[in-house]
Amino acid sequence: MHNYKIIALVALLSALTSYSTIANDQLTDNTPKITALSHATLMLSPGKTLYDATLLIENNRIKSIINDNDIPPGVLEINLAGHIIYPGFIDPFTEYAIEYESTNEASDDPVYEIKRIGGNAENGAVHSEKEWFNYVYPDKEQAKKWIDNGFTSVQSSYLEGIFRGRGVSLSLADKKANDIIYSAKTNQFMAFDKGSSIQDYPQSLMGSMALIRQTFADARWYNDNISKSSNTGNNIEFNIALERLGGLEEQSFIFQTKNLNNQIRAARLLSEQKVSGSLVGNGHEYARIDELKSYPYSLVLPLNYPAAPKIIDSDSARDVSLATLRHWESAPSNLAIVAQADVPFALTQYGIKADKFWPRLKQAIKRGLDEETALAALTTEAAEIAGISNMVGQLKPGFMADLVISNGNVFADGKITSIWLQGEEHQLISRDLAMLAQPYQLQINELSFDLNIEQDPSLSGTLSSGEKEITLANVSYNQGRMTFSADLTEAGISGISRFTLWFDEAGLRGRLLDSNSQTIPFGGTKLELVVDNEPTQQQDHQARLSQVAKQTSPNVAYGLQQQPIEDKLHIKNATIWTSAKSGVLNNTDLIISQGNIEEIGSNLRTPSDYRVIDATGMHLTAGIIDEHSHIALNGGINEATDAVTSEVRIGDVINPDDIAIYRGLAGGVTTAQILHGSANPIGGQAQIIQLKWGDNAELLKFDGAPASIKFALGENVKQSHWGDNFNRRFPQSRIGVQSLFSEAFNEALAYRAAQKAYKKMRSSERRRTIAPQYNYRLEAVAEVLEQKRSVHIHSYVQSEILMFIRLAEAYNFKVGTFTHILEGYKVADEMAKHGAYASTFSDWWAYKFEVYDAIPQNTCLMQNKGVLTSINSDDYEMQRRLNQEAAKSMMYCGMAAEDAWKMITINPAIQLGIDGKVGSLVEGKQADIVLWSNSPLSVYAKVESTWVEGRRYFSREQDKLAQIAVETERAALIQKILQSDDTDKKGETSSEKIEPEWHCDTHFNAWQQTAQGAL
Amino acid sequence: MMVTQSTKHAYSLLGFVATFISTFIVSSAVYAHDMLPAPIESGAVLFTNATVHSVTHGQLQQTDVLIADGKIVAVGQNLAEPAAIDATNPTHAAEAAESASAAVKARSATARSATAGLIADAVVIDATKKHIYPGLIALDTTMGLVEVEMMRSSNDAYEVGFINPQLEAISAFNPDSEIIPTVRVNGITHAQVVPQGDGLAGQSALVSMDSWTIEDALVDSNKQFHLYWPYIRWLSSDTDKRQEQLEDLSQRVDKVHQAFADAHRYQLALQAGKIAKIDLRWQALTSLFDGNAQLFVHAQSQKQIEEAIALSKIYGFKIVIVGGYDAWRLADVLSEVNASVIYTETLSLPKRKDEPIDLAFKIPALLKQANIPFALGFSSDWNSRNLPFAAGQTVAYGLTKSQALQSITLDAAKILGIDDMGAIAPGFKANIIIATGDILDPMQAAIESVYIDGRKIDLNNRHQQLYQKYLKRYNFEF
Repeated sequence: MHNYKIIALVALLSALTSYSTIANDQLTDNTPKITALSHATLMLSPGKTLYDATLLIENNRIKSIINDNDIPPGVLEINLAGHIIYPGFIDPFTEYAIEYESTNEASDDPVYEIKRIGGNAENGAVHSEKEWFNYVYPDKEQAKKWIDNGFTSVQSSYLEGIFRGRGVSLSLADKKANDIIYSAKTNQFMAFDKGSSIQDYPQSLMGSMALIRQTFADARWYNDNISKSSNTGNNIEFNIALERLGGLEEQSFIFQTKNLNNQIRAARLLSEQKVSGSLVGNGHEYARIDELKSYPYSLVLPLNYPAAPKIIDSDSARDVSLATLRHWESAPSNLAIVAQADVPFALTQYGIKADKFWPRLKQAIKRGLDEETALAALTTEAAEIAGISNMVGQLKPGFMADLVISNGNVFADGKITSIWLQGEEHQLISRDLAMLAQPYQLQINELSFDLNIEQDPSLSGTLSSGEKEITLANVSYNQGRMTFSADLTEAGISGISRFTLWFDEAGLRGRLLDSNSQTIPFGGTKLELVVDNEPTQQQDHQARLSQVAKQTSPNVAYGLQQQPIEDKLHIKNATIWTSAKSGVLNNTDLIISQGNIEEIGSNLRTPSDYRVIDATGMHLTAGIIDEHSHIALNGGINEATDAVTSEVRIGDVINPDDIAIYRGLAGGVTTAQILHGSANPIGGQAQIIQLKWGDNAELLKFDGAPASIKFALGENVKQSHWGDNFNRRFPQSRIGVQSLFSEAFNEALAYRAAQKAYKKMRSSERRRTIAPQYNYRLEAVAEVLEQKRSVHIHSYVQSEILMFIRLAEAYNFKVGTFTHILEGYKVADEMAKHGAYASTFSDWWAYKFEVYDAIPQNTCLMQNKGVLTSINSDDYEMQRRLNQEAAKSMMYCGMAAEDAWKMITINPAIQLGIDGKVGSLVEGKQADIVLWSNSPLSVYAKVESTWVEGRRYFSREQDKLAQIAVETERAALIQKILQSDDTDKKGETSSEKIEPEWHCDTHFNAWQQTAQGAL
Repeated sequence: MMVTQSTKHAYSLLGFVATFISTFIVSSAVYAHDMLPAPIESGAVLFTNATVHSVTHGQLQQTDVLIADGKIVAVGQNLAEPAAIDATNPTHAAEAAESASAAVKARSATARSATAGLIADAVVIDATKKHIYPGLIALDTTMGLVEVEMMRSSNDAYEVGFINPQLEAISAFNPDSEIIPTVRVNGITHAQVVPQGDGLAGQSALVSMDSWTIEDALVDSNKQFHLYWPYIRWLSSDTDKRQEQLEDLSQRVDKVHQAFADAHRYQLALQAGKIAKIDLRWQALTSLFDGNAQLFVHAQSQKQIEEAIALSKIYGFKIVIVGGYDAWRLADVLSEVNASVIYTETLSLPKRKDEPIDLAFKIPALLKQANIPFALGFSSDWNSRNLPFAAGQTVAYGLTKSQALQSITLDAAKILGIDDMGAIAPGFKANIIIATGDILDPMQAAIESVYIDGRKIDLNNRHQQLYQKYLKRYNFEF
């Protein structure tokens, strides 16, 4: 329906122009604009080729396709024998012809709210109301960047902000805006980057994702309820940004991301909203192609190949990661791999210089991209994404006469000779000049000469006869007429002869003016051109064979080439620390299968086809669980821009590429709760992950783990260490924190009550009443009050601990776990009575004022008072040695070894609500087990192997092999870089930003890539 | 004494409050510690029948240790029995004599009879089933300079400016820091107090962890200058910015060279008696040019270390590399200038993504393999108490337990040019730990007493005090 209208619009527009007279012209232009492009190879659409056929063009459209070159009378014919006609190429991701400049000015002070102008969105990064066709103004100079490469139309938008507004698809023709717009309202453009918005929120990637989610919900709500607005006393504010997002199901989205993880996040977010669209990629797609394939989104891929890393000395070589080295080699294979996986994609010039486009695409073809897919990417797929597949992308009657004509296969050595934009030709290589591309035979008197003309770099040529070759002088050519001079004395025509030649389809005619001013007429015929077909297919194979880079999951050093299989395993004769009632068992066996612990006992029989490990002298434990960790995530640990940000989800930003996962496994850690930072009282939703190295972000998530959230108290939430610009946001003191919480809880209660009241209404009443707006922020707080979301609250001093216990009691919920809780020992009694858990550091103190009373005997005092206590790391490195951290309680306050061990296994499992599955070695539980060389609490102990769900993700021997393999592969790739020539080394420098290690109070601006803070 | 102590604290507290009116500080600082520095011991003490981790002579079973006048006098089996020293255990006596300083050797004949006299009057402490270790030396700390790191008012470790060789960290050392007793309880008897900075940051000093004043605390040693070799803290991924950073880096390296070139001119003029006006910076550096001081260069990467060595070669400085992450790769160049290494990264992540995940743990063993003299450091203030466990960590990754112990005792002293600390052997200072378990392993460690210069120090500390206080709240019996 929608598309149909656009066709009608375009047709009407062209009809109007033919009548219109422009003041400057005396007469109306009534030239019949009908052209036959004959004897050409027509690439009708990918896979459909017609040889020696004619394309008939009338005005700006293709009129018909004529198989037998039987051209109707009265039509101008252009003979294109030897040429190929392609549908014009389409770039679906550009900023072409958008006349707009954002005028935001950054501020040093935090900006919590923006100016509301004209019914805009509440957030400065949301401008979904923008419709970019309003700003289209063609730019001939800019258009050339595309036209020279064969593009005839593009999709454009102003590329800035999160909801960027609706794009426009338009022709690259140099006509007025009204003529070139093909589709005025195409995709809603999106990105995670908030762009020039001066508002602080969102500062993190997860904040961006939460904002998108809330905006979608708001849009649905707004458009469902706005009509009810007048019936009731409650007005809904006018909001054009939300209004324009109405009818989400009919809209389509194009989402730009800067890296592969974000691309997958965008896919997940869009599919969660059940909307259609496409993803602008980054060249890394090959690394997770299966995952991308599982989403229903086509891709728009750039041809950005990275520059070779600079390897000057051993230091600079060491600083380059294997992942970077691999990508340098693998990037040109990306398109081939995406094509092989059957993921539909289009191509864009975005991110590279225009003159790189074809060399890069040809490189991709050498690496195995098939030409048909390449053509589809440039035409049909791109047209589909740009929302104009009903008018461009194919050679089809009624479609726009947007064409690419080449003198051979563009994907091999053919050159684009001309472009047709809306029925008007732009010759890149003058067609009659093309006639010079072949040799001619001249008959002058009785003599026969071969004429060869070179066009590159400037016109030159030779006349040859037998062995003799004469160089031509003063060669010039214009509109079929060539002149030159040559000395033909040896051929019997004395002196310098001057030639004038006319070329036409049949051959050439000419006359020679000799030294005696005598004119000799002559003729000439075309000589057959011998074309050698390159055996391209074989070369591809060669190119691929010489690949050094491996592909692993994740595609970084120590990534796995194969995921581990589910072990059927009999571990014999170990000292087993059960973390359960049975305590520590000597000389005991444990059998696992199907990811679970099958049996524990002494002298067990090995079931048939089970592997056996003799663990004599070794210790076997449950996997370590870290209640408080910030590993394996991207784009910022804090959404620090508001005191309450419970809408953000760590689960949105899990980073499966983080080597910290592998390093954690090597320290015996199998599960970690990834928490939001402590920059605000009500932080984001936490995510419990299993350290299943090599699995994707979704698979890392602990299946069935209860929901949890980070709250925080104390110095960090009152912005103590943020600098002088941050003294405005409530709360700035501990005395303010309590009322901030009360307020949030009250809001959440009211929110829930309104939802319930609405649900209770009769449907007729609901139709008249404005529905309560879904609010992800309050939703999460309400879940806390309903005991559906466990609170892990960052806390230090006794006053705040007690305050929060009493507050929770007043609101009738139980605090889950106090995390850090370094003064827990002072109020252990109260904590125990409330039923709260504690997760603390073994011996940290004195790094800031609120930890000045921290003592390493904290664990014992709390434990002895009946507070279930765990030790967490909150640190990348310490996570690898949590066993030693637990042992410190034995040293500082005489805790029993078994109890110390429980502090990092079953206790945190209980705190995370996953003790039914993990945390102890009990038959039927998940086989998350660790084999140690020594007592696991000893500083001398080393992890030998770590299993998660019965799969061995780490072992010391494999790690040794991996170390060697990484070294070997690095060395080979570095050699390849050193040996390769300059063209292979050139490319785009990475736009990928380096992220810091995350700590509780890292303040990271995901968009400006600045970080501050530690611990 | 008690009164003096708390008055003094109250006084400094007033200053605090006057400058920064903060109720939080008041409420906490009333817990001023009341551990008294131990008095000087007059008589001898004999520890009997212990397992002695001598460092110089390995692990000795059922061995006695005699201390007097702040020094270790004798180590051997059954010292109390007549003629024990030369008859029953000739090997030990010989070894002891060999390892003692030249002065001690010269006196050895008379020492024998003197020792017998000491033993007769000695307080005997039965150390059966106990371990005796030398006191641990924590290198590269900010002990006593930093109380609470994030509170600027209590952080005196860092000074602005690029060329500050004249700064003396010891001048800001607080012997009453609440942190000190919590560190020494883990066996750390001495700490190197190091100024932080960019470029030439000043001079460090070795202090005793039990003293009334700065002057009591100071252990005599050569001057120790600290140079933080320039580096890029966080390399930008933006090409242009990165270029700027690299240019800035090479400018900073030039500045280091320029400083020493200027100091060298000063030195020449000084020798010729041609200095008209004192330049504090270059005046401070004269001992370095005289060969009476050491230059501690904080450097991690190969490039930094190589650059530092190149500089030291120009002037013939004695250098110690602090940090030293890549030092194990550079045995040849390090030995050319006789440089040693304080490796501070044992409990760190690999500094580069692709490096073996346990590289930081393995580097001490790699240094040992490469025959590079090294000690372990743990650059911190409060966290320095984890030094013994950092040493313990290296054992699963290639060092022996005794090598690990040596790297935080004898070798640490050697790097500071001190030859009478870090071992249980005659002639060494009586810095002694008595423990019931392996002090490098938190699972076993249980330190009963610590002696500094023969004085038995108070192992109470802020943590113990708070612990005891709250045990009382819950009526726990301990």
